[in-house]
Amino acid sequence: MSASYTGIGWNRQKRIYDAVMIASIVIFLGAFYGLGRVLFRPPHDATDETLLIRGLGSCAIIMLHIVLWIGPLARLQPRLAPLLYNRRHLGVGTFVLGLCHAAFATVQFHGFGNVNPLVSLLTSNTQYGSLARFPFEVLGLAALLILFLMAATSHDFWNRNLTPRFWKSLHMCVYGAYALLVAHVSLGTLQQERSPLILATVGVSVAVTIGLHLAGARREARTDRGSEPAAGDSGPWIDAGPAADLPMDRARIVCARGGERIAVFRHAGGVSAVSNVCRHQGGPLGEGKIVDGCVTCPWHGWQYRPGDGCSPPPFKERVETYRVRIVAGRVRVNPTALAPGTPVEPAVIEEGARV
Amino acid sequence: MVAQVLLLAMGAYTGLGLIVALLFVTFGVARVDPGASGAPLLFRALIAPGCVALWPLVLFWWCSAGGAAGARVGGRGSA
Ligand code: FES
Repeated sequence: MSASYTGIGWNRQKRIYDAVMIASIVIFLGAFYGLGRVLFRPPHDATDETLLIRGLGSCAIIMLHIVLWIGPLARLQPRLAPLLYNRRHLGVGTFVLGLCHAAFATVQFHGFGNVNPLVSLLTSNTQYGSLARFPFEVLGLAALLILFLMAATSHDFWNRNLTPRFWKSLHMCVYGAYALLVAHVSLGTLQQERSPLILATVGVSVAVTIGLHLAGARREARTDRGSEPAAGDSGPWIDAGPAADLPMDRARIVCARGGERIAVFRHAGGVSAVSNVCRHQGGPLGEGKIVDGCVTCPWHGWQYRPGDGCSPPPFKERVETYRVRIVAGRVRVNPTALAPGTPVEPAVIEEGARV
Repeated sequence: MVAQVLLLAMGAYTGLGLIVALLFVTFGVARVDPGASGAPLLFRALIAPGCVALWPLVLFWWCSAGGAAGARVGGRGSA
């Protein structure tokens, strides 16, 4: 993190994340090529170029699935949250692999005639009315354009200047790209493969993607239904469960009926509550943890002090804070948001409470 | 014919985008966003593809910021 823009904010985790990503890509491509050489023997021989094109495309779509799965997976299993940390590099990696796949395929199948390869790509097959001969390449091209737009605007500069809300909407287009790629792969497979294995794999992957998103949404909806108003308490205070069950340096997310999500953290100083929405890209702060005394967003590591919702200097971001108290061993939160950066005394858990 | 016109239009859009992007990352970006003043070359290279894709918007920002540095937002961040 820095007070002004940097190219890539490298730190140890990001380096490890990227090293694992690149190593996995290399291993996958090597394994794909090796297996391809073994499996595709005459008369179904595949050239090196074909194997490379298929390997790059397969790797890209697998990475896109990982990008789409880790969001809901981290919601369902918080231990997987570190996978989210550098997800945008995974997204950019997906685009780069897709671009290589498209470039090699265009050269291989359209590059050796006397027509411009791109013109040839768009005009050599125009049977849009036929499922069996549909020009599936065009779907891949459209998906690639969407992935390009997302990769090109992945830097924080764009998030800031396009506004986080618009940026987020733009990046939701990943689902459009996913649908186009599923159609691209399915139609391409239908036209070129006899074995139903690839189609079945695509079907299962789509089902898992939908299932994970539904499960993640259900988990969020349960939080959003709202916590009960605290029994026997005056005013709007809501119950956030037993204080002793709140794990150290972690949060419980609560929500007043129809209100905003609130992250209730237990830390060395006691229990504090801040908005669940990170100022960066709206990441779920309550799914992060306390690192170096600060609430740390699980998405890209922006930090806020639990006591006042302010980022540590030199940063200037602030999130809303909430009043907290502990009554008969239960945490109670006043769901009326205080102005971002308002200091609130943490509620102290009595001695002997479990950690 | 349609494909040729489409590709020609895309080529023209990209060509103009390249010029705007080059000028913007060199001279304009710090006016639009003070967080970018003194930012390293890598930062400028990383935002350049987005500037090519969204050059009409970038041009609009630059014109709106006019001569006043810091007319839009402050920034921190990385890729
Ligand atoms: S959303 Fe990026 S750090 Fe929180």
